Amino acid sequence: MTRRSSNAVPMLVVALAAIALYFPAMIWLNASQAQKLLSRGAELKCGDALACAFNLRSPIIPAPNQLLEDIPRLYWPLTDSTTVPYNAFFTGLETLLGLLLGALIGLGLAVLLTSSKAFERAVLPWLVASQTVPIIAIAPMLAVLLGANGVQGLLPKVLISAYIAFFPIAIGVAKGFRSPDPLQLDLMRTYNASPQQTFSSLRFPASVPFLFTAFKIAMAAALIGAIVAESSTITDAGLGRMLSENSRASDARGLWLVMIGSAVLGIVLVSLVGVVERLVTPWQRER
Amino acid sequence: MQTTPIPSPRADALVSVRDVSMIYRTRDPSGAALQTVALKDANLEIKAGEFISLIGPSGCGKTTLLRLLADLIQPSSGTLSIGGKTAQAAREARAYGYVFQAPALFEWRTVQQNVMLPLEIMGFSKPEREARAAQMLKLVGLEKFARNYPWQLSGGMQQRASIARALAFDPQLIFMDEPFGALDEITRENLNLELLRLWRETGKTIIFVTHSIPEAVFLSTRIVVMTPRPGKIEKIIDVDLPQPRDFETRESARFFEIATEVRESLKHGHGYEVTE
Repeated sequence: MTRRSSNAVPMLVVALAAIALYFPAMIWLNASQAQKLLSRGAELKCGDALACAFNLRSPIIPAPNQLLEDIPRLYWPLTDSTTVPYNAFFTGLETLLGLLLGALIGLGLAVLLTSSKAFERAVLPWLVASQTVPIIAIAPMLAVLLGANGVQGLLPKVLISAYIAFFPIAIGVAKGFRSPDPLQLDLMRTYNASPQQTFSSLRFPASVPFLFTAFKIAMAAALIGAIVAESSTITDAGLGRMLSENSRASDARGLWLVMIGSAVLGIVLVSLVGVVERLVTPWQRER
Repeated sequence: MQTTPIPSPRADALVSVRDVSMIYRTRDPSGAALQTVALKDANLEIKAGEFISLIGPSGCGKTTLLRLLADLIQPSSGTLSIGGKTAQAAREARAYGYVFQAPALFEWRTVQQNVMLPLEIMGFSKPEREARAAQMLKLVGLEKFARNYPWQLSGGMQQRASIARALAFDPQLIFMDEPFGALDEITRENLNLELLRLWRETGKTIIFVTHSIPEAVFLSTRIVVMTPRPGKIEKIIDVDLPQPRDFETRESARFFEIATEVRESLKHGHGYEVTE
């Protein structure tokens, strides 16, 4: 526990450094943008470039006064379909369901990959190939295919999310199943343990730390899958929909806030995996 | 070439090794076939209740012999029997407990749960598992650490836990493969004393692999001296030091005589690369 709280100080230092960098970067980037606009003779109604840095309609980086104005507008009320939290809820739900489905597929594949060399040789290259197809190219096709068969709502996005989540889980967990020490495997052999007993008493528990590492990677990937799926399909809710709408409207301030919301959602989801990990792996606590 | 005298087979032998050889066939980088003779024509009879040490430098086949007895590997030729069964049948009947070079504890299990592992695999009831684990932990002096995880224990304590695990299902025969090899000299001497006490109290038969001459002399009723290239049994030496043995045993004249005899046999077989 002491080890964990001591992480807070270095993290805080980095956060403060990021904020310290934000101000000069914001002023420098926005002021040069304003300078460019002023030199073209644009009417900015804000005096010189430095003053305009805080009031651009489309800032490179939003100024603090703009953020303070936008946060209440885009984050409240929670139940309004135009706010970030409302849409983040749906994106988060799709991500979690996608991860769950991806975990089921990934665990099944990991069992097959480690129990049969022939299966590994035949299937692993195709699994790798499946991940080299850009998700942005698959998402609309899947959405159209599923839509044509009457599948709508969350499901297409959950499927796309699961499509990229299963892979790190399958690979990570397969590695975990193979992680026991040769001596530990010999030990099970001296007990004349059945393959099922060796799996449940040794291979599976040994894979748990690998499982959670894979879940963290898969969670981040599933979130990307969900957002890409939302922005490339016709959908009524989600951060991906907000991103594409704000992008079409060239609303830089809105895009920034959706982006910040996505980042927070990602951090929350990945930390959720960390919390579950600490609950189910007591032997790693306080280490 | 000197031939090893073959002991006449005895009816009361618990463990019997007859003309056992182990040859590994590999290929060198150029693809040519290579034969490594890990063990050549080994013969050994062990009675119930003995404490046998296999001693020799790396590559003399001592671990190979132990792994053959445990049916973790199978011999190229010859026969092994344990309690009248083949090595495989003995393993399937859970005739022995094996203590490895490393503790090989499962890090997600507490010390108590580690000791209960073989009992779970073998289908003991929960009350029986708990009773035996408690008894074994007391025997190795770890009862206060039952609920700790392995990483919270020192190396010596971890190895004691692995000995408790090997004893938990009460096998008559215990194989130990350099169990104290990774420990410091002081911890090792203490554990040697404890192991002797365990052996006296439980009446087990122990086959113990080591590369330390004092350890072998101190612990054993007989020492099997092995030499490398090819791995073979050079000589079997009786250790007639009186029981119970203690720290003073190590200072007796007879102790040094036997240690010298072991050293001479190792030299004779060109296997004198042994740590003191």
